[in-house]
Amino acid sequence: MKVSKIIDKCQLKKIVFPANYEISAGYCGDLMSDVMAHAKPDSIWITIQAHKNSIAVALIKDINAIIFTNNVSISQEVIEKAEEEKIDLFQTSKDSFTISGEIYCMMEAETGKD
Amino acid sequence: MSGNYSKEKLTLVNELIYEIKVKEAMSKKVIFFKENVTFREIQLKLKEKKISGVPIVDNKKNILGIISINDIITSFDKHYVDKKITNYMTRDVITIPQNISVVSAIRKLEKFGVGRLPVTESSNSKKIVGIITLSDILNRLLVVVQSIAEKVKDREAKNGKISEEMIKKITKKPLHFEVKGDDFDNAGIVASITKKYFQNLGISKDIVRRIAIVCYEAEMNICLHSLGGYITIEVDENNDAVICAYDSGPGISDVELALTPGFTTASEKIRALGFGAGMGLPNIKRYADKSKIKSSLRTGTELKAIINLGVKK
Repeated sequence: MKVSKIIDKCQLKKIVFPANYEISAGYCGDLMSDVMAHAKPDSIWITIQAHKNSIAVALIKDINAIIFTNNVSISQEVIEKAEEEKIDLFQTSKDSFTISGEIYCMMEAETGKD
Repeated sequence: MSGNYSKEKLTLVNELIYEIKVKEAMSKKVIFFKENVTFREIQLKLKEKKISGVPIVDNKKNILGIISINDIITSFDKHYVDKKITNYMTRDVITIPQNISVVSAIRKLEKFGVGRLPVTESSNSKKIVGIITLSDILNRLLVVVQSIAEKVKDREAKNGKISEEMIKKITKKPLHFEVKGDDFDNAGIVASITKKYFQNLGISKDIVRRIAIVCYEAEMNICLHSLGGYITIEVDENNDAVICAYDSGPGISDVELALTPGFTTASEKIRALGFGAGMGLPNIKRYADKSKIKSSLRTGTELKAIINLGVKK
C-alpha cells in the first residue's frame, strides 16, 4: 500500500515526504529496542518518540515512514535528519491506538482484495 | 486487457506494451484459407489446430475476409455449413500493421470485441504476415519481463564480485568508531555508517540489518550506560563480521542478570526517551550468530558479537 493512501485516509499532516513508499507492514511502539527487535522492513512506524534516534532506528530497520501521534512536537533537527535520510514523517492528533487500528484495517482490506 | 488489476503496480508492463511491436509478439505461422472452401472444411481445421479463427486470403496473401468460430456456429444454425464461404464471410476485416506497438493491438481487440487480429505488412498493405491474439501479447510480455529480471540478477552477481575485494579490505583494516558516553545526539551513527558499508559490499539485506541492529544496541549501551568507549567491526577469515564493543567502565556487576529481557538500570530520563527497555543485550544475543560479554567493575565491559556474512570464501 502506498504511503499517500495512508495520508489521505488517516488525514495525516505531512512533515517530511521525500518519497511515496510502498508499505507492507506496520509497527507501533515507543521503546527503541522493542522496535529494533520486532519491526519489519518496509514498515510504517507509529510512535510518540519524536527525537533524532527515532530516525536512526528507522534507518537501521528499513522503516520507510514514521507517524508521530498525540501531536507530539517535532524538532527541526529531527526534520532535517529525516530529510537527509529520506524517511517520511507525519504528525497526527490521534493516539497510537487509533491510527494503528485505521492502518491495520486498510492493510487487511488491501490483502483481502489481492 | 480487462480485469481489475492495479495500474499503479504494473507501470513496467504499461511501459512495455508501448515498446513492444506487433511483429515481435505475433505468430508468424498463420493458418489461412483461400475463398473456395466450405465452412465445414474450416471447422475441421479449427478443431484440429485448436484455434478460433482464420483469415481468408487471395493468391498474393492479401486478406479478403475472416472466418471465426462464431461464423461457423451461425452457418450450422442457418444450414449453410456445407456451402462455400465466399458469399457469407466478413469482408470488413479489422487488421493491424506489424510495425505498430502492441498497445494499439490491445485497444483494437477490446474495441471491436474480437479475439485475433490479422497482421499486415504495413498500414497501406493488405498482405498478411502474421496473426496476433491477447495470449501472444502476454507471452511476449513474459519473455521481456523475464529477460529484464535476468539482467537484474546478473548485475547483482557482478556486485557480489566487487564485494570480495572490499571484504578483503575490511579484513585488513577494521572499521573503528569512538563512542562518547551520554551523547544522545550522535547515538545511532555507528550503526548507520556500518549498515551503509555492508550494503555496499553486496551482502544480503537481512544480514546487513542484523549487523546494524547489533551495532546499534552496542552503541546505545556505551552511550547510555558507560563513560565512553569504542566499537570495531571487521571481517575475519571465515567471512564473519566481528563486532567488538569496549567501554572503560563502570562495568556490569551481574552479567547474567543484564542479559535477562526487561532488566534495566536505566534512569527515568533515559526511559522517557524510549531507551532502557532492558532489551539491548537480549537483542544482540537474538540477532548475532554468537555473542560473548565480559565485564569487570575495574576495567569495564567487552562485548563481542559475530554474524556470518553468508558469502562463500
